[in-house]
Amino acid sequence: MTPGRGARVWRALRRNPAGMIGLVLVAVIVLAAIFADVIAPFPDHAGAVGDFAAMNAPPAAPYLLGTDTIGRDMLTRILFAYRLSLEMAVVVLAITVPIGVGIGLLAGYLGPVTSYALMRLTDVFLSIPPLVLAMSIMGFLEPSALHGMMAVSAMWWPWYARLSYNLARAEKQEGYVLAAETVGAGVPHILLREILPNCIPAIFTKMTIDVGFVILIAASLSFLGLGAQAPTPDLGSMVADGAKYMPDSWWLTLFPALAILLIVAAFNLLGDGLREALDAER
Amino acid sequence: MTASHSRLFGVLLGAALAFSATAHAETIFRMDDSAPGEADPDKGIDYVGSVLAFNIYDALLIPGQHGAPVQPHIATAWKIDGDTYTFTLRPDVKFHSGNMLTADDVVFSFKRMMALGKGNSSLFAGRVAEVTAPDARTVVFKLSGTYAPFLGALVRLPILDAKTVMAHKAAGSDPQMGDYGQAYLSAHDAGTGAYSIVSHVPESETNLVKFDGYFLGVAKSAPDKVRLRYGLQASTVRELMASGQQDMTSQWLPPEVMRVLAARKDVHLLNDYGSGIFFLHMNTQKPPLDDVNCRLALTYAFDYATALKMVKITDTVFTGFPANGPISHGAFGYDPSLPNYARDMTKAKDYLAKCKYTSPDQRAIDIAWITEVPSEERVALLMKADFDPLGFKTTIKGMPWTLYTQQVTNPASTPALSEVYIDAATPDPDSLLYNMYSSKVAATWESASHLKDDQVDALLEQGRTESDTAKRQDIYRKLVARLRDVAPAIFAYEENQVFAGLNTFQLPSLSDDNARFSAEEYGLQFRLIEMAAH
Repeated sequence: MTPGRGARVWRALRRNPAGMIGLVLVAVIVLAAIFADVIAPFPDHAGAVGDFAAMNAPPAAPYLLGTDTIGRDMLTRILFAYRLSLEMAVVVLAITVPIGVGIGLLAGYLGPVTSYALMRLTDVFLSIPPLVLAMSIMGFLEPSALHGMMAVSAMWWPWYARLSYNLARAEKQEGYVLAAETVGAGVPHILLREILPNCIPAIFTKMTIDVGFVILIAASLSFLGLGAQAPTPDLGSMVADGAKYMPDSWWLTLFPALAILLIVAAFNLLGDGLREALDAER
Repeated sequence: MTASHSRLFGVLLGAALAFSATAHAETIFRMDDSAPGEADPDKGIDYVGSVLAFNIYDALLIPGQHGAPVQPHIATAWKIDGDTYTFTLRPDVKFHSGNMLTADDVVFSFKRMMALGKGNSSLFAGRVAEVTAPDARTVVFKLSGTYAPFLGALVRLPILDAKTVMAHKAAGSDPQMGDYGQAYLSAHDAGTGAYSIVSHVPESETNLVKFDGYFLGVAKSAPDKVRLRYGLQASTVRELMASGQQDMTSQWLPPEVMRVLAARKDVHLLNDYGSGIFFLHMNTQKPPLDDVNCRLALTYAFDYATALKMVKITDTVFTGFPANGPISHGAFGYDPSLPNYARDMTKAKDYLAKCKYTSPDQRAIDIAWITEVPSEERVALLMKADFDPLGFKTTIKGMPWTLYTQQVTNPASTPALSEVYIDAATPDPDSLLYNMYSSKVAATWESASHLKDDQVDALLEQGRTESDTAKRQDIYRKLVARLRDVAPAIFAYEENQVFAGLNTFQLPSLSDDNARFSAEEYGLQFRLIEMAAH
């Protein structure tokens, strides 16, 4: 993306209120997660500690969002859970995007046999409901955040393969690709230096939206007890744990659930805003 | 219409309405428990499985009351001649099928339990040489040696209708007995109990109906039907209770939820206790807890009072009582002269000074809690708060139950400390302590301390073979004293299983100490429920 194009996209995004709200929320959440150690009221409450004098306290100073059944500050644990959620999204996308894009570009550019084989494999993965596939994988693994990331990664790459395949198929017909082929450029050069740069805006937009969805799927796994394990703060497991105490100790469920809503909505708003900005720029 | 006609009409109308009201005053008792509910009485050993077995089936003997360990039930009398036990059966016991119970059914039931090798079969394994039925009302058990807990174990031998089971047998490994009716009994029953199965789905619910032909009769105040639902969320149970759609909770609700229910005017609390202990197993085969002084240091550093506060429901009701060892107060072998455990940091430091592991790095211990029981995490954190300042280096890990049961079969992979609730299967302490502390028994989740102690082994064997009650009592008191010395576990507290019930019913066997039975789980007898009409 050229600097000029980036500036045009930024101007288009600034004219999109929803996109800007998403951007601000994402910025706030990311910064809060990065600096959780500094801004959390009780940083040690992210770990294996208990304050038995303050168990299950409703929201009131000094525990603005209340405490859990072990006496740990909910606000602190939500901030640290955001950190885990974002780490998870980054790791999952860092694994799945290169794999999915690589397969998609190869399938889109190379001959029909390779294309058919790779895309049918992709279709097999796409045909299985994502959460079911992740749960099946977790059936073989001990529940943990790392294994949760592996399970989500296994089901996420096909979406990027499908997107990149379609993009590569379209770009393959463009004159600049034909020109590169004419001067004898190799396949890696054509894929990585000619086609890929033109696919990046669309892939980046999808990644932005996907951050929210990855977090949502990871939270679903944790809700089922298949993700990060205690005492690691995790939004999904916090919702699940708190549900036992509804409606009396409502803060145990409501605030982590709102936290999930906020982060997923923020990335969706930003992603939609970026997509519209890119469309407008074109 | 004349005045007399009018009166007659009024009387007839009143009678019709009264009859109608009586005919429709069917009572149903609704409660929940953890999933799954096991209907086969030779397989279920958890709380709900035991409750189903005790209500649908009967045994020769049942847990005693008023201090007696056992009392007659299907067997009206028995004679002990050395290792031979001869039981005389009641003549009037009818199965739900209409068949009359005979001694052959007892023999069949014993053989079925041992052939399946599940459930409570370990109580009899290797102990019974032969079971015979000389006539329809006599059963003879010939033991392979002296086994004092035998009578207590019989409360866990449900009697099945042999004819019904065999009529429904499916193909199985045994050419003659097939699958012993396992497929059939997973959803139906073949018992004599006060209630029979109408429908049963292990993961969701069991529906029972009162058996009119029950040999002891069932009071009219007992519920006509019982509905047990499994695996309900705590918040769901709380709402069902609040709206009057459920009569009694399970004992698995978190204390916080139980506290909310206990505060309601239309709710009363019931409880079941007698043999369960909350054990914090210490792995005696792995450093640093292979040193008894380190174990005793932890024993005295543990904050028992705070652990009990964590399970407080009301100012007077806790889901635990202070413990003085592995036998609950009032149970056979309990020694009231021993003090309850309490935190004593002076003693803890003294024992730690004698421990051969001198630095915190050498005294690194991992504490495992079972993730299916969230309240255990609090206890793990309490231990960390107690033990780290003393000079231990603790790490905490939550562990699913299935993983835990696999890991503890080997001392090397067993956590240094792990939390487990265990109660006795029978009114006899042997059923609790032998599997837990005999070095002859293969390691299981019950024996995660992997204790190997000659004195403990000898006392456990004496407890099994001594037939004199007073001498047995003494043996178990010595055993408890020895276990206090070698500290294979922190005996955190005695378990008190608390239920919340609507005031629409009373169940004295879970609320009146004079009506309690000598074994946990038996008190939840649906036939003893006194129901107000709905």
